[in-house]
Amino acid sequence: MTFPVRQAPWRLRLGLLALALILLLSTLLALFPPDGVERASLAQFIGRFHLLTVHLPIALVLLVPVLEWAGRNPRFPHLRETVDFVWPLAIFSSLAAATLGWCLARSGAYSGRLVTQHMWGGASLAAACWLCWMLRGYFHDPRLAYPLALAATVALVSWTGYRGGQLSQGENHLTEYMPAGLKDLFGLSSGSTPLPRSNPAYFYGAHVEPIFITHCDSCHGPDKQKGRLRLDTYESLMRGGKHGPVIKAGNAKGSELLRRVTLSRSDDDAMPPQAKSPLAPNEVKLLELWIAAGASSTLPADGIKGAPTNEVPAVAEVTFPEIDPATVTKLRAPLAQEVSQLQQRFPGLLDYESRGSAFLTLDASALGPKFGDDDLAALKPISAQIVSADLSRTAITDRSAPLLAAMKHARVLRLNETRITDAGVASLGGLDQLESLDLYGTAVTPACLKTTESLPKLRHLYAGATKIPADTPVSDIMKGKLVF
Amino acid sequence: MSDFAKTKDPSPVPARTLHREERFALLQAQTRRHFLRSFTAGVGSMFLGSLGSPFVSSVGAAERGVDGTPKLEFARDPSHPLSVLPPQFAGRAKRIIYLHMAGAPSQLELFDYKPDLTRLDGQQCPASFLAGKRFAFISGVPKLLGAQYPFHQTGKSGQWISDRLPHLEKHIDDLCLIKSMRTDQFNHAPAQLLVQTGNARLGYPSMGSWVIYGLGTENQNLPGFIVLVSGGNQPDGGKQLWGSGFLPSVYQGVQCRSHGEPVLYLENPPDVSRQLRRRMLDAVDEINRQAYAEFENPETVTRIAQYEMAFRMQMDATDAMDIHKESPAVLAAYGANPAESSFANNCVVARRLAERGVRFIQLYHWGWDDHGTSAKDSLNIGFADRCRETDQPIAALLTDLKQRGMLEDTLVVWGGEFGRTSMRENRNGQVMQFIGRDHNPGAFTIWMAGGGIKPGICYGETDAMGYEIVKDPVEVRDLHATILYALGFDHHKLNYSFQGLEQKLTSVKPARVVAEVLA
Repeated sequence: MTFPVRQAPWRLRLGLLALALILLLSTLLALFPPDGVERASLAQFIGRFHLLTVHLPIALVLLVPVLEWAGRNPRFPHLRETVDFVWPLAIFSSLAAATLGWCLARSGAYSGRLVTQHMWGGASLAAACWLCWMLRGYFHDPRLAYPLALAATVALVSWTGYRGGQLSQGENHLTEYMPAGLKDLFGLSSGSTPLPRSNPAYFYGAHVEPIFITHCDSCHGPDKQKGRLRLDTYESLMRGGKHGPVIKAGNAKGSELLRRVTLSRSDDDAMPPQAKSPLAPNEVKLLELWIAAGASSTLPADGIKGAPTNEVPAVAEVTFPEIDPATVTKLRAPLAQEVSQLQQRFPGLLDYESRGSAFLTLDASALGPKFGDDDLAALKPISAQIVSADLSRTAITDRSAPLLAAMKHARVLRLNETRITDAGVASLGGLDQLESLDLYGTAVTPACLKTTESLPKLRHLYAGATKIPADTPVSDIMKGKLVF
Repeated sequence: MSDFAKTKDPSPVPARTLHREERFALLQAQTRRHFLRSFTAGVGSMFLGSLGSPFVSSVGAAERGVDGTPKLEFARDPSHPLSVLPPQFAGRAKRIIYLHMAGAPSQLELFDYKPDLTRLDGQQCPASFLAGKRFAFISGVPKLLGAQYPFHQTGKSGQWISDRLPHLEKHIDDLCLIKSMRTDQFNHAPAQLLVQTGNARLGYPSMGSWVIYGLGTENQNLPGFIVLVSGGNQPDGGKQLWGSGFLPSVYQGVQCRSHGEPVLYLENPPDVSRQLRRRMLDAVDEINRQAYAEFENPETVTRIAQYEMAFRMQMDATDAMDIHKESPAVLAAYGANPAESSFANNCVVARRLAERGVRFIQLYHWGWDDHGTSAKDSLNIGFADRCRETDQPIAALLTDLKQRGMLEDTLVVWGGEFGRTSMRENRNGQVMQFIGRDHNPGAFTIWMAGGGIKPGICYGETDAMGYEIVKDPVEVRDLHATILYALGFDHHKLNYSFQGLEQKLTSVKPARVVAEVLA
């Protein structure tokens, strides 16, 4: 007696073998899901190869539609035949990747929503590939079913790959550096800090939880619980991880959590891991004080005397913005030609605000009386880009007022010791970014204060040596802004 | 020549062409010694090549520094080495007026109020103050010395200040006092060099040189870095204090005078007209240009630029330095007298230069080294005179800058090169006729005001005797990093490749921007 399979063509035999493996893998996944426990190092060693193999099925699945499409051209009919070879490759490579992925997740202390979705995505992908292959071979009229299945498989591989990326690179790895304009378009807010979820009236909600949410959420949060530890709620924090509690109430020094965050950065056990930013000294101090005070969830927010605040770090540090030359060139491109022409005409007069900025600063003070209205008029094309204009001691008059009014981005405008008058100042009411207006030594009178009141951001109005007396009555808006 | 013998092919190859045989013979003649000899020259020239020239640099793809981030480019058109370059990021300060009190004024008689020291005046100095310390003159066990002048609190910020600075006192809420400055030099020249060049040894560019190297200068008719000296003597550190070190010499400070001709020999000699001078310069320039075309020495370009600037300066410098043009009221406010040379005159000039776009204005006032060896070097007499000479002009300068809106983007720095001891100096173990203090590198006070600095605060603390720092020490390099930050630079990025290092003002030890004093 012979099994029909024995005589079946290789395709059916291979197909049945693949199906058996898929079922076997699914059973494994269902019976032994990743549980956040760290296991044998050999399994981890093998599991790490997941990252290597995982790209194979992705490429193969994405190759299929290309081959199918290109094969429709009568010049390359053989490409469509190739597909029959690519599908089994895709099935077995996705099986291999999924198995290795399971080894990694199972032994590398992964758990949570993300890893579960990624895992079942991988297993489903093997099944979907199998289905596609079968549909293509056994249905002689594959006009509808096969293209649909193929489209679904491509979608599945993209989704699974994205989940995998989120696992290894962080949840927002695709959108993190998206230009702000695009972010707005997709409705993604940029740079918002996570809000505390617990009551901020308590010390835990106000000071402790935000630290965990900022630093620990990606590995010990709702989506991933390395070492079966979750730090995003008070209950899970106090429950601890696979090695037991991480906090000993009242004993800061004996708490595993504090030990980990205070270890030297090069230590393997140090948390957050080396690639992530460490806790600030004041954050460590807050944790220490809170644990020492009993680690209660109901301690009032101001219950610990001398606790540092979350906002001001103990030792302030400055950051230096990174400059990307390509972005800067692009930002400057629209007016680059005008700017460089003006720079040649007036050396030292006009320059970019900084190496990374497309905004301009104008300083005509060195030219003094040699710089007049007609010279300033030449800056018309770029006036909206000027953030700071120093025209002190130049020969400009009220004739330049329209040009000054066009400096929409101006934060600083220095007109001291020029022939500008109230009439000129009156046209500056629209400069809603202006922070500092220098009218020292001009002929302006208290009448110009009417205009300056309408400048929302104005902080300083220099009015010395003008017709504005130092004891002039000023409105509430101008109070404290006049400098004599 | 055993190598030679070994490598020689014993059996001749008949099919080889003449050319190949020749090449082979040539290779045979190359021994290990040949290789080593030419190798060293090759490596040497690679090293020399890597040193590069500031004027020949790749345009386009940004070079990367040692930390992997793009290097800032400071290359300029060789004929305009002082043209303006934007800062790395938008800084708050555009120019600096640095008031260096040469000789190191006593912080204990001006800003650092220590009632406990006054209480213990005349007591023997505790041994812990002397252990492991090196002093310039103190020997044996000196006695503690309380403040020689009364202190009081002033301003909205409630800062303590002595009665020697009645004018500056009115500006106390504009100042940011740093009472925890520290240096590692206890002699004037190296300490001044450290403060001004970031290095106690000779040959390093001064802060002003770094600043105009980084930012250029707006007024091409005046030097970008001007130095004015008063007090009757040059500072101990000498002209190296405004030298350009390994930077091209076009970035060095130019010492000017506030009395008489601003720069000696700037004027044309009698019977030489401006036209004749122009023609002479054109001829010299032509020769220099030929020399540059041939040798490409950047110093030639510097020379051309300096001749040209001197020509333009004949008009502008004379105007900028001429304090006769100020109204008598202004001169009176500074206490300036155009007929003589003084610190007050220099302060008026400093404001005039700042208005004209000079990037870095450095004033030195000599005579603060109050050891107590003579009346003029004593805390009770000479010190009071120095205070009188400087208090009113500095206050007037701050008033002027503030009124004109210039304190927003002008950073004013005041300070010496180190502090003075809490003990009375006892040169040779003797009680001296006048009262004085020795050098104390362990603690001194400086202040900053204006561009990008938080006004009305006091940063850092010394111990109850004002002898050592107990809170928030600020090293000289931290001060440099903070000043460069105010100008819009990461101090690591304002650098210049020399001797295989990316040299910078803050030198090699890690420096911290004192963010707490930034506005």
